[in-house]
Amino acid sequence: MMAESVATDRDKGETDGVADHGTASDDQAEAALAVEGVSKRFGGDENGVLAVDDVSLSVKHGSVVGLLGPNGAGKTTLIKCALGIVIPDAGSVRVFGTDVSAGRRAAYADVDAMLEGARNDYWRLTVRENLRYFATIHGIDPDSVAKRHERLLDRFDLQKKADTPVRELSRGMKQKVSLASVLAGGAELVFLDEPTVGLDVESSRRLRRELRRLADEEGLTIVLSSHDMAVVEAVCDRVVMMANGQIVADDTVAALLSGADRDVIRVESTDIDDAVVATLRRLFDVRSVESVAGRTRVEVAAAGDVLYDLMDTLRKAGITVEHIESVQPDLEEVFVNLTGMGLDGEDGSRGSP
Amino acid sequence: MSGEASGDTPTSDSFPEGEPRPATYYHLARAVLYREYLIFVRYPANAIGGIVVALFFFGVLFYGGRLLAGQELADSLEGIIVGYFLWTLSVGAYSSVSNDIGSEVQWGTLERHITTPFGFAPVALLKGIAKVVRTFLTSGIILAIMLLLTGTRLSLDPITVVAVAGFSITSVLGLGFAAGGITVLYKRIGNWLNLLQFGFVALISAPVLDAPWTRFLPLAHGSALLQRAMVDGVRLWEFGLADIGLLVGVAVGYLVGGYIVFSYATRRARRLGVLGDY
Repeated sequence: MMAESVATDRDKGETDGVADHGTASDDQAEAALAVEGVSKRFGGDENGVLAVDDVSLSVKHGSVVGLLGPNGAGKTTLIKCALGIVIPDAGSVRVFGTDVSAGRRAAYADVDAMLEGARNDYWRLTVRENLRYFATIHGIDPDSVAKRHERLLDRFDLQKKADTPVRELSRGMKQKVSLASVLAGGAELVFLDEPTVGLDVESSRRLRRELRRLADEEGLTIVLSSHDMAVVEAVCDRVVMMANGQIVADDTVAALLSGADRDVIRVESTDIDDAVVATLRRLFDVRSVESVAGRTRVEVAAAGDVLYDLMDTLRKAGITVEHIESVQPDLEEVFVNLTGMGLDGEDGSRGSP
Repeated sequence: MSGEASGDTPTSDSFPEGEPRPATYYHLARAVLYREYLIFVRYPANAIGGIVVALFFFGVLFYGGRLLAGQELADSLEGIIVGYFLWTLSVGAYSSVSNDIGSEVQWGTLERHITTPFGFAPVALLKGIAKVVRTFLTSGIILAIMLLLTGTRLSLDPITVVAVAGFSITSVLGLGFAAGGITVLYKRIGNWLNLLQFGFVALISAPVLDAPWTRFLPLAHGSALLQRAMVDGVRLWEFGLADIGLLVGVAVGYLVGGYIVFSYATRRARRLGVLGDY
């Protein structure tokens, strides 16, 4: 038993009596992650919460999929169901073709996750010791991947702190250690919950680049949930938007943005009152009206000569425009349009001044 | 990446610098034990604190008892030292396992051990063994100081003491796993379960001769054998087969039972969605 490798157990499909993974070419065609009709309710019928409601999702090898949605949308529960940390009430999860309910050990041989941000490692061990420990825990002899660990330390700018206990590092550094340790065992599929929380702008940018590189060059499959639009837009091949436990959109970033409302023109002035707003509503497609720092901000859908007509109307009404800009739609805008709520979970509609 | 060994994963270039070798249970044992060793030597304050507290209470027991009981205490001192030694071992094994599981929950690392391809059982067992090894070291120091303080001599055949004490506290490891499982499920109960370690005093001093059924309780039979080994000088191979069989049976029974409770509790925690939520 001592000499028998975990990989051998898995490869033979003997552990937990799981099915074989099949040939490499089969696996190429097989999704890295396939979620079918997964539902999960917490609590009883009356006070219970349907956290995930009949969700189906497939993630291709080497792709990066972002889960987007407000708190309580079901993102984390879906990830935990995929990882087997939460047992779904209904549905199935297959990882690299293996049904996790049939053989968890085999299914998760190539999977790791960063669910707790900086709280994902042993803080009393050094950075390097964490990489070695978690590589072993995930079934890889750490000596055989020592070079990979050095490379991870370089890429995450942790080389100088490699022999420092994690507890002595800043939160941002801890976050990087956490991510490095997830990659230390060479997982093929990683789940990252808010991977950029706590990172400064430069570190976040480097992390985005590294995640993209890992997917492009090393075929790593990444499922990440984030509130950070920059991360989602820069890294993800696909975005799955969730609200109230359901998927409300599932497409590429470009497709989602192209399907969104067109650009808007945003004007701000302290002179705009209810009467002016009423006039604008009559003449233009007003998208929103809100008060910002003592000014009234009006957003009007941009099309044709709207900019000139808008300026003309405001000039005739005697309004002094204090700020004007053209605003591109972003994923948050798409989400608001789809669900009527913002990514902060609040009502996405905006009131009048 | 383990799939690379069989070539069944399509992204085998994840390690462009060379072939990664799959870890064996040897590597797992080495990693878990080495982590325990590092924490032991890097943060000795916990171990030293535990030794000081244990010796303080023994000092109160010894000097206070001598004042109150005089010669009667001296007559039973050997038995008290052996019992106290086993109690420190038991408390160390129990609290380290149950607290360790609670700590993993708080640290956010339990989930990573749940999804390990080795399965959580071997990892948890190895962690338990690592804790027991550490506890033997600290309890050995406590025993040595107790013997020096009191000028007592005991039979200390290493094989006999380690085997009998080891199997005795294996049953406590089982209780630790059960308590750890309940802690995973009901987070706030964890601290209360630590009080269970005071119940070990009753188990260690259970009247196994007057009430033979108590031999089936954790620690009780092992404590009786350890008394015979350390006080009367009985060697391991001089015990009857039934005694050894019962010692091993109780140890394995409670360890397996404790692990079943732990497995049930973690499965229920996964169903309720509270695994790792602290």
